[in-house]
Amino acid sequence: VTTPAARFIGQSVQRVEDDRVLTGRGRYVQDIELRGLAHAVFVRSPLASGRVMGVDADHARSLPGVIAVLTARDLEDCASPMQIGVELPGYLRPAFTALASDRVRYVGDPVALVLATTRYAAEDGRDAVDVEYEPSEPVATIEQALDDDNTPIFDDVESNVHYREEREFGDVATAFAGARVVRRTLRPQRVAQVPMEGRGGVADYDVGTGQLTYWASNQAPHSLRLNLAMLLGHPADRLRVIAPDMGGAFGQKTATFREDVAVCAASKLLGRPVKWVEDRVENMTSATHARDEEMEVRAAVDDDGTIVALDVGMTLDQGAYPLVPFPSPLFGWLVRTMIPAAYKLQALRWRYTVVATNKASYGAYRGPWAVETLVRELLVDEIARELGLDPVEVRRRNLLMADEQPTSMVTGPTIEGVTSRETLDRAVELIDYEAFREEQFRAHEVGRLLGIGFSTYIEAAPGPPDYAEAIGFPIGGERAHAKLEPDGRLTVLTAQAPHGQGHETTIAQVAASEFGVPLDHVRVVHGDTDLAPFSTIGTGGSRAATMASGAALHATRAVKAKVLNLASELLEIAPDDLEMADAMVTPKGVPAKAMSLQEIAAAAYFTPTASEEHDLRSSALYAGPRGGWSGGTHACIVEVDPGTGAVAILRYLVVEDCGPLINPAIVDGQIRGGVAQGIGLALYEHAAYDQDANFIAGTFMHYLVPTAMEIPAIEIEHLHGEELDEVPFKGVGEGGTIAAPAAVLNAVADAVGGATVTVLPLSPERVLDLMDSMSTR
Amino acid sequence: MIDIVLTINGVERSGTVEPRRTLGDFLRDDLGLTGTHLGCEHGVCGSCTVLVDGASARSCLMLAVQAEGAEVTTIEGLAGNDGLHPLQQAFRETHGFQCGFCTPGFLMTALELLRDNPQPSEHEIREAISGNLCRCTGYESIVRGISLAAERAR
Repeated sequence: VTTPAARFIGQSVQRVEDDRVLTGRGRYVQDIELRGLAHAVFVRSPLASGRVMGVDADHARSLPGVIAVLTARDLEDCASPMQIGVELPGYLRPAFTALASDRVRYVGDPVALVLATTRYAAEDGRDAVDVEYEPSEPVATIEQALDDDNTPIFDDVESNVHYREEREFGDVATAFAGARVVRRTLRPQRVAQVPMEGRGGVADYDVGTGQLTYWASNQAPHSLRLNLAMLLGHPADRLRVIAPDMGGAFGQKTATFREDVAVCAASKLLGRPVKWVEDRVENMTSATHARDEEMEVRAAVDDDGTIVALDVGMTLDQGAYPLVPFPSPLFGWLVRTMIPAAYKLQALRWRYTVVATNKASYGAYRGPWAVETLVRELLVDEIARELGLDPVEVRRRNLLMADEQPTSMVTGPTIEGVTSRETLDRAVELIDYEAFREEQFRAHEVGRLLGIGFSTYIEAAPGPPDYAEAIGFPIGGERAHAKLEPDGRLTVLTAQAPHGQGHETTIAQVAASEFGVPLDHVRVVHGDTDLAPFSTIGTGGSRAATMASGAALHATRAVKAKVLNLASELLEIAPDDLEMADAMVTPKGVPAKAMSLQEIAAAAYFTPTASEEHDLRSSALYAGPRGGWSGGTHACIVEVDPGTGAVAILRYLVVEDCGPLINPAIVDGQIRGGVAQGIGLALYEHAAYDQDANFIAGTFMHYLVPTAMEIPAIEIEHLHGEELDEVPFKGVGEGGTIAAPAAVLNAVADAVGGATVTVLPLSPERVLDLMDSMSTR
Repeated sequence: MIDIVLTINGVERSGTVEPRRTLGDFLRDDLGLTGTHLGCEHGVCGSCTVLVDGASARSCLMLAVQAEGAEVTTIEGLAGNDGLHPLQQAFRETHGFQCGFCTPGFLMTALELLRDNPQPSEHEIREAISGNLCRCTGYESIVRGISLAAERAR
């Protein structure tokens, strides 16, 4: 095991990205300008469900600046229907077109595309397109979707129930026989990812070369390229996707959207560049939502609070259109696999249903499986209440100790190096739990309602080798390329498509440390499918810290070996007797004979290449770690206003373990940002529809993203267990969002005397309802 | 179409715009000052904040014609020839931002705050930036950045 040299590791070095971010020189999709650009605006359905009887675009086409109005028929010959590619027994996979042809299936469904010389003219054109609809009864709820009397949303599948599965792990029947059973239902609301920059793309079809270039705000450019090539029937070698600077994504931008297909097809049809930048209402209405799930859980528990088995039912509302390329069953598979976490669960029964409703698509959102932690951690507090035990004590009785590992979760994955128990103990100590309980009692005496909540989680970041097998979805390793440039600088090409995570900095820290050069001698290149190594994931799944670092480490190490071999030839000294530091190769003990990397690079580039070894480029695959779990415990203290039901967070603490830190400031930023989203989910955010499936949260006046007034200062302590791997860094992107909702909700429930939370978000009104339910109990 | 003349980052600029054209679109699309970002176009997120005659304004809600004769400062006007503005430098050191999309709006809002209240408390900082949304950071690093800039100006 050769861990990377420590030189820049563990330092909060300033971000490479900030040179442009802080000066307004970032280049986002909305900043891209090309000659002859046509601006695209979609005509979207105002109805949740209906038939398209006709599209009259004559008036729109006559308006000044309008170039074209395209409908589904215009795209028929240049874009094939979309469908999820993964076939599964019993999984219904409807096919659909980029623009709705015969039916509209949610408020915001794209029906036509207006192209004009300016955005203003395109919006005028949109307003002038007259679409005749015949409304029909929408499927507005999970309950309605489960009712087979309702008409299927898609004509080519027979039901609105798109998938069902039942699985059992361990001996469930025995575990429940005679055991005390604690039940819980939970209805996490639909939320939206809300990147500050919405979706968008600029497609540039070059009629002369047949080359299609698409700049897109997308986390998985290679996946987008593959899907576009297939759907457009376009040769992949002439299709280049470039993800420029991105204004956040949080999972929303992992998909290939119908809009992407329409915009690229329009550029090919028109033979000119086409730019689409959605506005906020469009993003809220038509991009993706997440977390719309119904959970029903039963736990078999012993009298001492030991959780023996769980029986979990989950129903997921995927909205109307499944999001290419992800089969909706995948989200449940992640939940199913992860729900035991580091709890010593012996058996699990799992029932999972995916339904389609007339709503926007369900998409990945930071910790797409997070409902497992939410429902489990609320259940633990429920068990504590029912058994008259302390919630911390119940967690302690159930969490695996270090000396009980390695072991396996009942759902399959190996658990090794997991410190859930240690993070809990440390959180209890740092929050001064006993003192808080006294303070809570005293406060209650004077009518103040204080509460505390804990939440313990683990995150596959990226997880052990048997994790993918347990989910049932291949994930694989990650590749990076590295090369020494003619001037002795190092370029690292990563498969990541970062959008705020600072990978240009962290990957450079790893590579520069390994290579022995100053940090600014390393440039990290990403996001361009002509350059970046292939990956269907791009940035997602909290993989970068381990997988991108591992790939960059090995690619850099291979270039270093080539450099040392070449230097050995030039200096006539054995490679083992050479050292590389400060961009110099120095014979050990003979500093006078040192050569700079620039000189060595010049020797390689400017003399006829003698062998493959003189090509100072390399490519490396990193297969993944043995351990790969990060995790931690969150603790939250709240005060509930008994008059208004408003919740104030008095203290928020995170004790977490993501291994050694590459860049502590970046890690803490990921955690705090994640917690903020979790707080939003618990208390404020709701991508709401009314009973007729009309979307009613299209603006920031209706969808409440927390501000600096709602999000408290967040204390963080890092600890880490035994290092199992050569690349000991673990991902930290999703944990904050995964763990925070339960910590907050448990705290509120505790503050109001142990209420059971079932409906989210916990708005002040709902908190008052909880208090009422307690006083009438 | 209406002719307008205004001063942007100390330089006189002119344009011919439709009355309905927003200041944000005029800055970005007509003048190429793309540092000002449009995050919601309904005046809530604050990404498009610029200073108009010294006061913060949502350039998505203001019409370009309303800025006739005004002095407008955008993110592009913040750094001088000798490098980053102290506020930018402080944000750099505190890792103030992640994706950077909301950044220009926060910087312009913080600029106004520190001019009007050079030594704000943490609560005052949070209140001042509560009209700007950031989805990446949880705000703490932004609050620290403003505090650091204030501390250095003491």
